[in-house]
Order: sequence, then C-alpha cells, then structure tokens
Amino acid sequence: MRRLVRTYGGALTTVFVFATLVWAIMLIVLPQLSMLDMALRTPLRAKDSSIAQTVMRDAQTCQAVLDTYRDEVGAAGDGGLAVPSLSAPPLATPSLPSPSPGGSGGGLPYIIQCDRATTAQPLVRDAGESAWLNTEYEIETLAVDITADLGTQYAQAQAVRDAAAALYQELVAAEAELSPYGFRNFVQIFKPLVIPLSADARAQEAGEFGTWVKEAIGLRYERDGVVYERVTLTTLLRTILFAAVATALALVACYPIACNLALRAAPHRAVWLFVALLVPYATVEIMRVYAWVTIVDNNGLLNRLLDLFGVVDIEGGDFVAFKRSPLTVFTVIVYTYILFMVFPIYNVMSTLDRNQIEAAHDLGSSTWRVHRRIIIPHAKPGIAVGCIATFMLSAGAFSVPRIVSSGLQGEWFSQTIYNKFFESQNTNLGSAYAFAYTVICFVIVGLFMWVMRARLKDFMRA
Amino acid sequence: MHGRDVVLDNVSITYGNGFTAVHPTSLTIASGEFFSILGPSGCGKTTLLRAISGFIFPSTGRILIGGEDMGTRGPNQRPTALIFQNLALFPLMPVWENVAFGLEARGVDRRTRQRRAEELLELVALTGQGHKKPSELSGGQRQRVAIARALAVEPAVLLLDEPLSALDLKLRQHMRAELRAIQRKTGITFIYITHDQGEALTMSDRVAVMKDGVIEQVGTGDEVYGRPATPFVASFVGETNIFRGTVAGLEGGMAVVDTPLGRMRGRSPQPLSPGDSAMVFVRPEHVALANGQQPPLANLVAAEVERRDLEGPFVNVFLNAQGREIAMHLTNTGDAGRALVGRHTVGFRCEDAIVLPSGPLARTGRDMVDHA
Repeated sequence: MRRLVRTYGGALTTVFVFATLVWAIMLIVLPQLSMLDMALRTPLRAKDSSIAQTVMRDAQTCQAVLDTYRDEVGAAGDGGLAVPSLSAPPLATPSLPSPSPGGSGGGLPYIIQCDRATTAQPLVRDAGESAWLNTEYEIETLAVDITADLGTQYAQAQAVRDAAAALYQELVAAEAELSPYGFRNFVQIFKPLVIPLSADARAQEAGEFGTWVKEAIGLRYERDGVVYERVTLTTLLRTILFAAVATALALVACYPIACNLALRAAPHRAVWLFVALLVPYATVEIMRVYAWVTIVDNNGLLNRLLDLFGVVDIEGGDFVAFKRSPLTVFTVIVYTYILFMVFPIYNVMSTLDRNQIEAAHDLGSSTWRVHRRIIIPHAKPGIAVGCIATFMLSAGAFSVPRIVSSGLQGEWFSQTIYNKFFESQNTNLGSAYAFAYTVICFVIVGLFMWVMRARLKDFMRA
Repeated sequence: MHGRDVVLDNVSITYGNGFTAVHPTSLTIASGEFFSILGPSGCGKTTLLRAISGFIFPSTGRILIGGEDMGTRGPNQRPTALIFQNLALFPLMPVWENVAFGLEARGVDRRTRQRRAEELLELVALTGQGHKKPSELSGGQRQRVAIARALAVEPAVLLLDEPLSALDLKLRQHMRAELRAIQRKTGITFIYITHDQGEALTMSDRVAVMKDGVIEQVGTGDEVYGRPATPFVASFVGETNIFRGTVAGLEGGMAVVDTPLGRMRGRSPQPLSPGDSAMVFVRPEHVALANGQQPPLANLVAAEVERRDLEGPFVNVFLNAQGREIAMHLTNTGDAGRALVGRHTVGFRCEDAIVLPSGPLARTGRDMVDHA
C-alpha cells in the first residue's frame, strides 16, 4: 500500500483502491451473497401458505367460470347441468392433478379450477414424507362436487375459498415468525426420484456398467420393486467426472504440443503453430460448436465419409451415433479449450534452460526420465494452471454438451442449473445448485493444488 | 575412475544451413591428459565439444573414445560427462540429488546414491551441503556441485565448456587450481574449452588453438606461447608486438626482415625466402631499454614514451615509434618506469623474436571497438 502511494501518489491510489473495492463488492461478494440468500430460502410456491393461496384463487376462478357458464346456458338449460371433469376424485389423487382432456361432456368447457378447489391439497414435502393441507392444519375437508347443480357448486366453491383465505392469513402470519432460511434446497440435490421402467428396460439396464457403478455407490437402488435414482446427484458427479476426463485428455493432447513449441521448434515455426491454434478462436463459440455438429451428425461429414468407404449405410439407417457418445463431447471440449491448456504450459516450459535437458541426457537419462525429472517438475505450475482453467471451463460448459449431444446424452450439471432457473423458474433451487456446484469445484481445485504442491505464487510464472 | 584417450579422425561438422563449423580435423588426446581448446567465440570449439559428447554427430570422420568408435551414440551412451558454461544444475532438486542424478538414471538404489553423493561432495569440499538447493550456494560452490555431478557417472572423459567464465577473478584463479587437482586425483581425461588463454596456459598439459573451424596449433603451453606456429596463434595467445616487413635474407635459422622501423632479425621456424612478406612478433616482456644491456640487443627501435599502465606485478609502457605502438613490460620492482619520459631506444634479442609468413591476426580489443 505504502509503495502504491509512493509510486502513484495519494489521489491515484485512492482511485485504484476504490475501483478495486467496487469491483470486488459489486461483481464478487454481492452476487455470491444474493445467490446464497436465494439458495437458503424455500421457494415461495413450495410454502404451505402459497398452497393455501392457490386453493383460494382456484376457488375464486371456479366461481367466476361458473358465473359465466350460468349466464350463457343457464337461461336455456335446466340449470342442473354438471360441469364434467374426468379427473379422479380429489382425495384419491396422490400427486398433483394431471390435465385431462376437456370438453368431453357435450361441448361443455373443462374447468380444472373447480377440481383443484379443494382443501385436500398435497403440500410440498421432502422425499419420503407426504402431507395434506386439510389434515396438516386440521381444517374441514371441502371440495366442489362437480355433479351437483350450479348453485351448490358455487356455494361449495365459496366455502373452499373462505376456508383457504382464513388459513392463508394464518399461515402467512405464522411463517413471518419463522426464519426464512433452511437447507431444503441443498438437500434436494440428494433427492431420489422414481424411475419408471418396463421390465425389459430394467433387465437391459441391469447389465450395464453405469448401472452397476451407480448401485455400488448408492446413487441407484430398488425398494419394493420400484427403482429409485438420485438423479441430480448422479448428474453432478458425472459432470465432475466428465470434466476431469476432458481435462486429462486436454493435458495429454497439449503437453506434447507445448513441449514441441517451447523446447524444440524454431521460433518462426512456433509462430505458425500458434496461428493454427488461434484461428479457431476467430469464430464465435456457438459457431465453433455447430461446426462440430455438422461433422458428428448422423448425416454429418464423418458418417458420410464412412458411408463413402462402405463402412456404414446412412440411407439404410445404419450410421455411427456420434452424438450419443461422451467421447464426442470430450473431443469438442478439448478442441474448444485447447489454448487454455497450451498457453500456460508453453509459457512455463519456455523458461526452462535447455542446457538442463542436455545435462540430464548427458548424465545418462532416457527421454522419459528427462520428462519426469526435469521438464514436468519445471512445468508443474503451468500444468496446474492449465488443468484448473480447463477443468473449470469444462465443468461449466453449457453449449458444448447441449448442442453436440442434441439431448441424446445425460445432461451436464450446468444444464440442470440452467433448467432450474429458466425452465422450471425455480430460482431458489437453481441458486442452491449453482452455489453448491461452485463450492464443490472450488474444493476440487484446492485439493488439486494441494496434490500438485502448487502455490498461488507459482502461478505468476504461468 | 580411469581416463581414456580421445581420437578425432578427420572430423568435420557442417550444419544444416551449410555453415561448416569444424573443418576436417584430426587430433589425439591422450588418456588422463588435461587438454584445452582455446579460441575466440565462434571458432567452432563448442561445436567440437558437443560432437565429442554426442549432442551432434560429425558430418565426416570418426570420433573414437578409448579406441571405440562412438558412431551415432547419443550423449547418454558415451563415457563422457559435460560441464556446461552455465552449469545447468537442476534447481528444483537438492544438491545431493543433483550429484546423484546420473546414478539415478543408471538404476542405482537410493541408499547407495546418497552415500556416493556424500563421497563426491567430500571430494569437492562440500561435505554436509547435500540437503541445500543449488540456489542457496555461492557461485564457486555451485561450480563444484557441477563437477561432482559430472564425476558421479565416473566418466572416462570430462568435457568442460568454459565453466569458469561466470566467476569473478579470485574465484576463477582458485577454481583453476582445484580443477587441476581433481584431474590429477581422478586421472580422467579433461577436455577444456575456453577463450581465456590464461586458463588454458595455467591448467593444461597441452593446448589446441582454434580459428574458424581449424586447429592452428597443438602443443604444450610453453610451445604455443613461446613458439607460435602462425600469426593468429602469436597474436591470440598472450600480448605481442607486431612488425610487418619483407624478408631480406636468411642466416642460419634467422630471418632478416626489413620493416618501416628498420632491419630486424628473428628466429624463423618456417621456411621463408627473400622477398616474402613476413611478420616479426616479439612479446612485450622481451622488449627492454637498449642502454646498458650486455650483450647489446640486436634489434633496436627509437621511440617516444607515450603512456604507462600499472598492472601490479609489472608495468606496461607504451611507446610510439613513427606512429606505431610498441608495448614493453617492466618488472615492477618499485616505481618501475615511473620516471620514464621522452625519447628512448628500446630493443629485443633476435632469439626472442619470431618471424612468420604474413597471415591473418587475432582481433584485438581495438578492432572490436572499431567494428562495434
């Protein structure tokens, strides 16, 4: 600090410090804190009060629909027409009501709100538990009897509405007393889901290696003849494994390149290699990934080439489904992030005194030993930086697995997070997943640095 | 440890770009000899060394070590060890691992390696420093680690590529003595590359003087210094006064040369005939004031004292003879040459002067300044 003041003067130093603080707070601390805040809160729609409110609103809508219906047909008809519904009686519904085909009863409008207008509503609970609005809060079990006449239905809806409104007020007041924070969202990561499988599919999956691994580490189990899988956790672990594999492949591919560039190639040849490495980065990432789609598609370049040589027959429906293979995703990831691995390794390696390599050879070392004892120890900080950069980029990769696999492979965790945020609009769960993922990746990077004995200081070299 | 002889049989080295770094050279270095290759930078001496150690292969000819043709054997398969100019110690390993590195490559177990490293560190007077990193040692200590590391593989031939050039003067002089002592103790053949004639002359049994890929002369230090074979050797090794002229006659191994400063006589080791253009070389320590010398000096030149440089043990007096500079060394027995001013006659004996056919000279410091 004192040195800064001496070099740049008080005013400029103040500006620097201020800018740094603003950056750190606005772009790192605050977003992470708000993310954490979001992650620790129960999603609003999962709260019991929200369920009561929904019931209240559904009853209200039901009434409004009944009003409209009465105005249209009431005068002409006998007024005793039932509003038909094909859904099962509410009390027997173990899960959320599923939409059923409407208008089957002689052109009458289907009114799902009247089905839902019941105090017998399931509440959102953790896995293995179940609770119902009416039994949990000991209120009367009310519902709209859709076979009754309109007047009765209207009155029933009113009763449901009143009961739900009263409960809603009560629950909101009660929830305000409680801490809004909890670890529910994080626990969701471990939640097992029922996997509906036919007997054939089950027999087929039982023999697969992936199934065996999942069962061995408790990600998949069978209870009472039903298969459960911790889908989110499986996705998380598989993504980390895949990112690690992609990183390892990138390292295997880049180490020889960096070695050649730094230790062997004449400077002017190194320039050309770098140009070749940089050219792909002149295109937008999406375009780069789509270029691969044209290659690995079922009707893509590779399959057509194979077709040309008679290995496959595209027209006959016989092609290699590259899009289904994780190897394709790995290849594209390695291609996409190759520079992030090559550059740090190249940088550190180019500082190695070539005489050391010659000295090691002269003392009788084989090429392999020279790499193991001289080049790799020297390049370790660069290898660490390259691996961390590639791992973090792969772990967070979204477009590559999404576009290349076209949904034909298990999703990566980045896609899971995306879906929580933008598909199911569950910001709280999405935040929890994102935050947990960040922490896990940090821990992995930390462990990696510890194993590599790489210190932050060394990264200055790379 | 035993030394082996090194034979270069008509070796030449041409690089891929067509540049011939070493012209066909034949040389025999005896087993256990301390042999120096002396020459200015770019003369091909390092190329020759790298060819002996196996980093590059000769374009023509053979290299034999202990009678064995090295052919295309790599550096890790030759009984040689190289000490690099910058030492090239492995900075990430402790000193003892550096020393034992060659043994590690030979599959020696860890305990033996440690014991052997300790022995070698003792040999180079670094007992107990094995656990340190090279960066924690002084320049001279690092130097000795490099020597120990090279000796660990028990080479028959140790190649040294100007290993002392990075050290300061005092340390360099000390290390010269140590290198010589180690060489005597181990009996290994040392091939020492240097551009420093002082190093070459003090340590070596024999010296080869190299210029533009050609070895100009091979001999003991005394021979190279006292009886240079070419103008280049005469001017590169040590300081010398040069007088150009034409051969006027030959008298019993002596040549008479007419120079702009008068007629001079000197020993003529090579055949000359009257009318040839020739050069007379005489060392500054052989130049003396003419008056009072008994017997009188044969070659005399009148000159004006221009400058006196105190070197310590001797004094360099520079005189101007018709625009030509003559250097004279006076032993500093106390204020030598301090009172020397004005015009004097200096001279030298004809046995101390050497007459050689004219040829290219080594670049002097003044040339280098002029070219830069």
